[in-house]
Amino acid sequence: MQLEHAIGLATDIAILSLLALSVYLLLLVGRVSFGQQAFFGLGAYASGLATAIAQWPLGVALAAGALVGGVASAAVAWPTLRLPGLSYAIATLAFGEMSRVALLAWRWQVERGDTLVGPAGGDGFRDIRWLLENDVSPEFYLVICVAVLLAVMVLLACVERTRVGIALRTTGHDDTLAAAQGVPVSRLRLAAASAAGALAALGGGLYAHRATYVEPALFDPMLGVHAVGYALIGGLGSAFGPLLGVVFDLGVLDAAGVFQGWRMVAFGGVVALFLYWRPRGLLDEALVHRLQACARARRRRAPVSEAAG
Amino acid sequence: MKRHVWLAAMLCMAATGVQGQTARARLELRCEAVGAGPALECLVRVSTPKGQPVTGAQVALSATMPSMPMAHRVTPAVAVATGQPGEYRGALELEMAGVWAVQVDIDKPLRDRVVVRLQAEECPQGQARCVVQPAGGKP
Repeated sequence: MQLEHAIGLATDIAILSLLALSVYLLLLVGRVSFGQQAFFGLGAYASGLATAIAQWPLGVALAAGALVGGVASAAVAWPTLRLPGLSYAIATLAFGEMSRVALLAWRWQVERGDTLVGPAGGDGFRDIRWLLENDVSPEFYLVICVAVLLAVMVLLACVERTRVGIALRTTGHDDTLAAAQGVPVSRLRLAAASAAGALAALGGGLYAHRATYVEPALFDPMLGVHAVGYALIGGLGSAFGPLLGVVFDLGVLDAAGVFQGWRMVAFGGVVALFLYWRPRGLLDEALVHRLQACARARRRRAPVSEAAG
Repeated sequence: MKRHVWLAAMLCMAATGVQGQTARARLELRCEAVGAGPALECLVRVSTPKGQPVTGAQVALSATMPSMPMAHRVTPAVAVATGQPGEYRGALELEMAGVWAVQVDIDKPLRDRVVVRLQAEECPQGQARCVVQPAGGKP
């Protein structure tokens, strides 16, 4: 039972990391979103519908869910692009709640075999049984989730090394200065919001298939606030930061079991402390630069010592 | 980089191969709250789609709070056979009262997962145990 628990925990860490990475991407361009849970939910429902009703394969269903999340996020970001940061945060929170309430009212069930499958308002969307029907073990599903997360992290790390990545960070630090340097700030923010929505939706799709059941209550603002907390604790210096934040919460605070019902209070306290002492998180830009400089220096020293030997 | 992309692509392809469908289990879940927390003692009845009790199944119980998925984790518990055909009993220690999604995982001879939403509250004063009611959809 301990092994199953550990596999479930590792799968949840991988899934939540995708949501945290979506927040991270927005924080890079200087936007805070409290509505990423909405795209997580849209992705969960869309990919659940794709496998449970349309009978699509998992890979295609996840891609479809990510597309829905990306388009929805772009649709929210486009009219709010010129709003100041706080207004954008409120707009995303409002969209999150609108989506949750809409999912509460949405009933669309299709008869499949002897059961009705599909969203049933507040009773949720049951029987997303792709993993069971295709005999995918929890261990193999963990491998899939980790592979998806690694692919996303590698992709983000590659993008951050390009001119686009530098432009993203410049926009986040000072959008006026970035615009003066010729960075297309609005387009960059729109692209980042769309990619962030797709990432959150991808996480939602993976979650729906792991749990076999989703309901609107899952996509409560608490989930979005936690995702912001993960990115802020882990750090904004590298795509590895959000993963660090999730591991800290689920892997340390929760798995230790010391806090029990007080865990949320402990998590909130840690976020507050980080905002005061380390506002860009544990793995902030300064630490990442120091680590990169150390690695460069070690690489430079290595040939010298080999030659001396 | 290329190697990572290939690995991800191969895993996605492997995950899309369709194999045989599994038979579904019919399941009844009845839980009672005991003491503070509350702790839940649950009785699970598992039967085949034709109504025959499933004996010798591996049944596990776990729970999450829908309002904060993946955050309030309850250590999964094995439900052991009671001696009655198709009946299994297990206990869960919840962190707090509220709406919980109790997940019943069945493995061998059927593989299935059923989620039941329960409104878990501590029992009124003077009662050592009380039946936990299903939770409705919350606005």
